[in-house]
Amino acid sequence: MRTGSAVSTEAQTIRSSAFAVVESAELSMALFGDKAVAISGLRMLANECAEENWDGNGAYPLHPIAVLLAEEFLRALPDDFPLPEFAPEPDGSISLDWIQSRTRLFSLSIGPSQRLAYAWLDGSDKGHAVSRFDRQQIPARILQGIREIVNHGHASLRAA
Amino acid sequence: MATLPSGLPDVIADDEDIARFLTQSNQFNKTMAKPAAFLPNPKDRETSVSRHGREPSERLWQLGLAAARGRTLYGAAIFKASDVREVGLDLTADEPPLFHAVLTRWPWFDHDPDEQKAKQKERANHLASAAGAPVLK
Repeated sequence: MRTGSAVSTEAQTIRSSAFAVVESAELSMALFGDKAVAISGLRMLANECAEENWDGNGAYPLHPIAVLLAEEFLRALPDDFPLPEFAPEPDGSISLDWIQSRTRLFSLSIGPSQRLAYAWLDGSDKGHAVSRFDRQQIPARILQGIREIVNHGHASLRAA
Repeated sequence: MATLPSGLPDVIADDEDIARFLTQSNQFNKTMAKPAAFLPNPKDRETSVSRHGREPSERLWQLGLAAARGRTLYGAAIFKASDVREVGLDLTADEPPLFHAVLTRWPWFDHDPDEQKAKQKERANHLASAAGAPVLK
């Protein structure tokens, strides 16, 4: 009778590899699942607003570089950070919005430039600013601004 | 004061209801119409609106469908003319079409489009907050 130990070893190796792949995929989903879903939503929006006049009022199509920068921005967000909602802007930029309530929100605009315009509203406090995104690290000022809206902290971020 | 074909006066009063129609599903959520929905068109530097409130709803949606020009009409964000003026913007009657008006005097700096956008967004945040939850069709 053939024991087939060589085959068995091979099978075990394959099985171990398969488990490793599954574990890795599960870990990726746990780590990146929400961001992957957000990026997918962003691409869907880009697709819906890919042609001029998507609003019936002459809006420009979403700029491909804006879409790319928005994806990079999402990837650069700390993993424990809440993800934004998206909205198309008539000049072809993409708005990333953290909306806690109608009086507490942070709205960031990503266009084809690496200078990001944003504005916030926190009760009676409001303001706006512009910060440069180097495509890898989100400016601390933006992260702090979002955190203050999401955590309802008191603003140390003020208008430029 | 002159009267327009809609029967409305040509000067928009502070207490008039103003409707901004929503033609893209990402322009709103359950809480509010998002700020981006109020930003001006870069070509004419204006935001197109209608001088109309929630009622009568039949006429509101009639105006909305005409404004959507064949696109899906999801709803409308309703706010007051005074909300517009509070942030330094203005409203001008612009008929035809009937009841049409435009938000004007958006900040515009050709030398610094990013600062321009930031200032516009601050004003759009105010309008979105004033409008609150959209009226859905």
